[in-house]
Amino acid sequence: MSNKTILICDDDEGILDILELILEETGYRIIPVKNSLQIYETIEKQQPDLILLDLWMPVLSGDQVLRTLRKNPETQSLPVIVISASREGEKIANEAGADFFMAKPFDLDLLVNRVQEIIAA
Amino acid sequence: MDSLKNGEFSFSNETVKKDLSLLIQALDSSISGVILTDNQQPDNPIIYCNKAFERISGYQRHEIIGHNCRFLQKEDRNQKQRLILRKAVEDGTECVVEMRNYQKNGTLFWNELYMSPIKDARGNVCYFIGVQNDITRRKKAEQELLHQQSIMEAQIQERTKSLRESEDYLSSIVQTVRESLVVLNPGFKVLSVNDHFLKTFKVTKEETEGKLLYELGNGQWDIPKLKELLENILPTNNPVEEFEVEHDFPHIGKKLMLLNAHRIELEGQYKDRILIAIEDITDRREIERRKDDFLSIASHELKTPLTTIKGYVQVMQRLLPDTVGDKFKDILRKTGVYVERLNSLIAELLDMSKIQTGNIELHKETFDFDRAIHEAVDNIQSATKTHRVIVRGKATNSYTGDESHIVQVINNLLSNAIKYAPESGEVEVYLSRVSNFLKVSVSDKGMGIKIEEQKKIFDRFYRVGEIQQRFPGMGIGLYVCDQIIKNHGGTLWVESEPGQGSTFSFTLPLDERKPDEQ
Repeated sequence: MSNKTILICDDDEGILDILELILEETGYRIIPVKNSLQIYETIEKQQPDLILLDLWMPVLSGDQVLRTLRKNPETQSLPVIVISASREGEKIANEAGADFFMAKPFDLDLLVNRVQEIIAA
Repeated sequence: MDSLKNGEFSFSNETVKKDLSLLIQALDSSISGVILTDNQQPDNPIIYCNKAFERISGYQRHEIIGHNCRFLQKEDRNQKQRLILRKAVEDGTECVVEMRNYQKNGTLFWNELYMSPIKDARGNVCYFIGVQNDITRRKKAEQELLHQQSIMEAQIQERTKSLRESEDYLSSIVQTVRESLVVLNPGFKVLSVNDHFLKTFKVTKEETEGKLLYELGNGQWDIPKLKELLENILPTNNPVEEFEVEHDFPHIGKKLMLLNAHRIELEGQYKDRILIAIEDITDRREIERRKDDFLSIASHELKTPLTTIKGYVQVMQRLLPDTVGDKFKDILRKTGVYVERLNSLIAELLDMSKIQTGNIELHKETFDFDRAIHEAVDNIQSATKTHRVIVRGKATNSYTGDESHIVQVINNLLSNAIKYAPESGEVEVYLSRVSNFLKVSVSDKGMGIKIEEQKKIFDRFYRVGEIQQRFPGMGIGLYVCDQIIKNHGGTLWVESEPGQGSTFSFTLPLDERKPDEQ
């Protein structure tokens, strides 16, 4: 079992729950963040190994978060997987510097596989 | 010639008898009727008439002499010319009248009567001489001419009226239209605008008509795109339709306009005038954009809980103990299937809205067409146990278009073929090249489609009657497919007979005729 930490940022409780459930089961430590405004502070404190990031969130959107992370030398190579139900999600994610994009609704097995691949790399 | 002195006859005593008989002969050979009446006797009786008078009147001499002239008027006694005659008789002056007279047999003739008095040395009127000409023919011609003139005038009035009516009618149409209309002369001077133009652009007729278009409202119509249309496009591409112009007007703000422009080519007074119809689509675009936004948000919001549901179903399937019954497993599997269906319905809804508003974006790239089709078929095949999907033939390994859209079409046609042919076990996909097109046909051996339904199935929300009850769905799949193929410059059609299965085919143009690199 790896002791890697995954931060999940999504304003939807249901998504946080299911991702936490499935990824904890896979053996990761999970930090759910519902309010994207708190994400920088949490990243700094918890030093996650990977971020699962939603796009459409109130106040601070996922692509804004991602752009900020990519500008900061400490987080610029932190792996980020963007998950979104937005139609233009993939384009927005790639432009903002995501490592991978998954459209909602996603297949859990595919997501877990991708998380494992990226964390191992 | 001695006898003619100062316009008067004079007779010498020796020749008076001879001269008189000559004079009578001369009078009788005249074509004008001549009579003398004796004003000294009561009722002015006729005392002399010549031959021509007999001929004109149809009476013989013995029926004439002694009568007053009025016998020629028979019952027609109310002619106003009589007053002139009466006055001339009373005053002893001469006069000319044209009046209706009647021959003995009742035939009307127009008589031009010249009457003049003969006075004695003291100035008393002793006789009247009347010279008559039958002017019936001239009168008839005159009357006919008058008649023709009046008919013509009536016709002209009628035509003028109908012209004015049709002008009013046309202008009422022009004024009622909910589009702005502008008429320009060849030099781009505004000849007229309709009310809707005045309303839309908040101007008056006075400050618009007669002005140069580019100078209207301090040059606010001096729009480069409009100039381009009028000066470069219209002269060679008449008429121009659906030309989009966006412009920020000083007072009324940004307007998005759709223009139709037409230069009149008809020979005549209107030649080379330019008609411009302007549709203000600013609001429409805004509404379309808001609708798109709404649908994007709605689909996003719907997909979010769906993601969670899908996740939990997957977790449940994973956590399923071996001891659980088949029925439960089946229920769980079906839940997964319906979650998937809900997801594709949401996607369809969004697709349709994008296409309907013409906002579909094509991301064209060159890809291996045949391989994409094979992959799509493999995907569908892996999820279908009931049907075998067979691919035959080859189209191309290099096609430039939107791969994801084309794959969407293939997926839709395949899933229809499987869905609507539940009894048969085979679906065939045939790839070929026809001239400079590639062609894909998807054939099933299902229930087929009635000829009257075949056109409608490409309409939005259309679902074949009985299908509606048996197979769920929104009925927009084929509409979306049709739009995608059209956007690629191809056509999508169906050939089918009830009970014999259906073949859906589409063609796509191969623009660059590159040889296959195989």
